[in-house]
Order: sequence, then C-alpha cells, then structure tokens
Amino acid sequence: MNALRMLAAQIRVNFVWYFWRDSEMVFWSLAIPVFFLLVFSFALGGGSTMRTSTFLVPGIIGAQVLSSGFWGVGAMLATFREKRVLRRVYLTPLPSWVFFAALVIYRMSLLALQATILAIVGGLVFHVHVTGNPFSIAFILVLGAATFVALGTVIGAVVRSTESANNIASVLTVPLSFLSDAYIPIDRFPHAISGLLRLLPSTQFIDAFRGIAMYGEPVTHYVGWILLLCGWTIVGTSVSARYFRWV
Amino acid sequence: MSTIAPAISVHDLVKSYGTVVAVDGLSFDVAPGTIFGLLGRNGAGKTTTLETCIGLTKPTSGTVRIAGLDPTRRSDFDKLRRVIGVQLQATSLPEKARAGEILDLYAVYYSVSPRTQELAARVGLEDKLDRFVGKMSGGEQQRLALAIALLHDPAIVFLDEPTAGMDALGRRILCAEVERLKAEGKTLVLTTHYIEEAERLCDEICIVQAGKIVARDSPTKLVERYGGDACIDFLARGFSPDSALEAFGAWTRIGERWSVRVHGEAGRALAAIVTHATEIGVDIDDLDLQRPNLETAFLAITGELLDEERASAA
Repeated sequence: MNALRMLAAQIRVNFVWYFWRDSEMVFWSLAIPVFFLLVFSFALGGGSTMRTSTFLVPGIIGAQVLSSGFWGVGAMLATFREKRVLRRVYLTPLPSWVFFAALVIYRMSLLALQATILAIVGGLVFHVHVTGNPFSIAFILVLGAATFVALGTVIGAVVRSTESANNIASVLTVPLSFLSDAYIPIDRFPHAISGLLRLLPSTQFIDAFRGIAMYGEPVTHYVGWILLLCGWTIVGTSVSARYFRWV
Repeated sequence: MSTIAPAISVHDLVKSYGTVVAVDGLSFDVAPGTIFGLLGRNGAGKTTTLETCIGLTKPTSGTVRIAGLDPTRRSDFDKLRRVIGVQLQATSLPEKARAGEILDLYAVYYSVSPRTQELAARVGLEDKLDRFVGKMSGGEQQRLALAIALLHDPAIVFLDEPTAGMDALGRRILCAEVERLKAEGKTLVLTTHYIEEAERLCDEICIVQAGKIVARDSPTKLVERYGGDACIDFLARGFSPDSALEAFGAWTRIGERWSVRVHGEAGRALAAIVTHATEIGVDIDDLDLQRPNLETAFLAITGELLDEERASAA
C-alpha cells in the first residue's frame, strides 16, 4: 500500500518536474514528432501522402520509443547520478523498484500521448487509419518500450558522466532511427545491407509495430521477433541490475 | 568508559581510491546524545568518513557500525535508512521542484505524515515553500536539505559541511537547530572546516589531517591542552610587575605597553595585575585579554591554518 502511494507520488513528480514545467521538453516530445510527420509526408510522399504517412506514423512513434529508452531513461539516470539526485533518494527508504518503475511508467505514458497525437494528426491530415487491434498495439508498444528502456538503462548503469551518456544516447538514437525502417524504408538499401539491418532489435520492433498497428497483422505473425525483443529486455535488465550504481 | 553502547563505532577505517588514501585507519566511537565533529581542511577525509558511515561509500577495510548496523550489509542498510537523517554536501534537488513539494514527497518516501509547514518554519523557509529549488540560494537549498534530514525524526543525524554557502541567518538557524536536536537527545555527526562552528556546537571534536585523527577531545580540553597561553596586554605608565606578578608567566615590555603570557588560568592573573596597579597608583589603559582558542589549538596540532575562506562569510 505504501509502495503504491510512493509510486503514484513519484510518477506525479516525474511528470510535473521533468515534463510539465520544462517547456523545452514539451516542445521536443510533442511538437517535433508532429513536425517530422508533416514535413516528411509532404516531402517524400509525392503523389501519395497517405501511403507515406501510414509508413511514417508508426516509424516516428518507433523512433520515439528508442529515444525514450536511450535518452529518457538511460541518459536521465546518468544525469541524476552526476547531479547527486540519486544518492539523496538512495538514502531514503524508497524501494529502488519504485524509483525505476515510476521513471519507466512516466516515459511510457508520455509515449502513449505522443503516439495518440501522431495517430490523430495522421488521421486528420493524411487520412491514415490505424486498423490494428488496440490490445495488440498496446502489447507491442509496451514490449518495445521495455526493450529500449532495458537497453537504455545499461547506458545509465555503465556510463559515469552525463556528457558521455548524452553522447552515447545520441549516437544510438539518431543513426538507428534512420537505419531501422523508421523514417526511410530499408528496402531502399542494397539487399545485403537491409538483411543486416533486419537483425537490429530496433528494426524488428518498428516493423512488427507497423505491421500490427497499420496493416492489422496478428501478433502471432511476429513471434520470432517478439521473442528476440524479450531476450534483449532480459539481457539489458540483467546487465543494468548487475552494474547499476546509485553513487 | 561509558557502558552504553555507542551510537556510532568506527574501527580502523581505511578508504583508498587507487593509490590515493583518503581515510587512513580512523577509529572513533560516538556516545548517544553526543554532538561529534570531524574538523579538518578540505580533502582531509572528513566527507569520505561520513559517507562510509551512511553507506554511500564502501570502506576498503575496517568496520563501521551505526546503531549496531553495518552499512555495507544490504539488510542492515535498509534499516539504517530509517534510523539516520542526512544532510549531504551539495545535494542537488530537482531544479523545477518547489520546496514544499520536496518536503511532501520525502514524507511519502519515509511513510510519515507530512510536517511541511512545521519543518519549513524550523529552517526559516516558511514563506519560500512555493519557490523552485533552482531559484533558491545555495544557503536556502542547504536549509531545505536540513529539513529533509529531520523529516522522519531520526535518532542519528549526519551533517556534511552544514553551513557551507550559508549566510549569517542560515548559520544562526543551523546552530539553533543543532542545539534543539541535542536537547532532544539526538546523536549528531558533523563535518566542518569552520573552527568557530565546531567550537560552538560540538561536545567532542576529532581533528582529521590526511585521513588520520590527530587529536580528539572536547573543545575545552583541546584548547586547554594545545591552545597555548593566554596573553594579557595593556598600556600603563609607570607600571612594573612585582615578584608575585612575575610568577604568573613571561613578561615583555615595549615602551609603556606590557604583555604577559600567562601559564594557567588567566582570570586570576588579570585580577592580580589590576590590584597591583591600583596599589601603586597606576592607571591601566587599552587592556586586552587573548584567550587561547580552538584555532590556536588547531594550528598547534596540525601546523595548518583553517580559516582563510572564512573572511567573506563573517
């Protein structure tokens, strides 16, 4: 009961302190993805903005999932450590799982908000239809978020300084967004390269998410990739749990 | 020795970082209800010692027990967090948080009923509860950190350089709070490089130099033992000490200005000087009595001066 109260309080302050009162954060997480969707759909769409946009909506959401994990959780933890926020919390009886769960739930809620806004804008402007089963969509989105949060936490666990954590997060997020079928269809790469890119967990997640959400494919269609994503989640979580330091 | 179990017991504590030895075999016990000060220059090993006590730093060797708990053991540490209150040096609280929200949130962490108003008043922040942490001065943030440390009414309180960055008001508030905690029977450990603070607040002081304890006693005893002689200095035309006065210490004279370094109690020497001057009909002007203090004791013990940073804060 107490733990739940703590969780609720912690989620609330995460939202208020790190999102609501941070206008830059609001802008980057809500306005920029929509801006990307509009610009890329018109720029790349040619005659068919609807088809391009149907590709881009899940792609941009997928890229946001990557950045949530690497920046929102990974680099954030390194920042918290360097700014000595972590050690202050560590000295209180707050259970560590509550602290992490609150950060992850906050980021996932933000993702849900971003996804909803993108789907609405896509629908209104480009007549994009989300045809997938809502539960399947939620499942694959949560799994993807879990995977990249787990991998992001490894950054937060292993990297000491905020600066290197931020560098690593951007080195991972930016190229992966372009190489994982998020903004650019990987069929455009030579066959050998696109084959390699399909081995990336980011490509597997974004493709599965797109197939399930936009083309109404069943979850079972992606069992292999889903298992791989689960594997990455377990690996990331174990490595972080082993190496994470509060001080 | 006291038969009560010590609140804090540190034995042969060593902490090294690579080849740098920050703490080099420290041992001390702190009896319950004592205000215990670790005094030394920056880099002497005070903060490392304190961080080892509260479980933030693992000792390289040696043992630490806080209320019988071992901070390096997971299960003990969980209990320890409820027993101790900590004000860390330069804790950074989130910038976009309001002071009042922080106090409310930490009350939830400790599962105690919020005492936000009461604590804010105690540290003089009652009209700053709506302020963002990022907009508070360093001293106000330190006072907020102190309020957090006291939130769950801990039995043992650790304060790391509590007055760093505080103005005169902040220092007064802190001193009042320390005295109040002492009256409540709490055990306090504080690190400081401010002599005056240590002398005024602490029942017991460990002087730490290069990771070692070089002296340990009450401030009065330290001054008595290491502080050197008191010095009485005055202007008196036609004065000269008689044999009884000469026995009080070493006299020197520059023109009409006399000074005597008194061995032992300065008060009696002073009375005798005044009596003698009256008897021989000499007026005493510009009289000055310099008692030995912790600063002279510190200098004698460590060969170092502490307070060069102090001037601006006064």
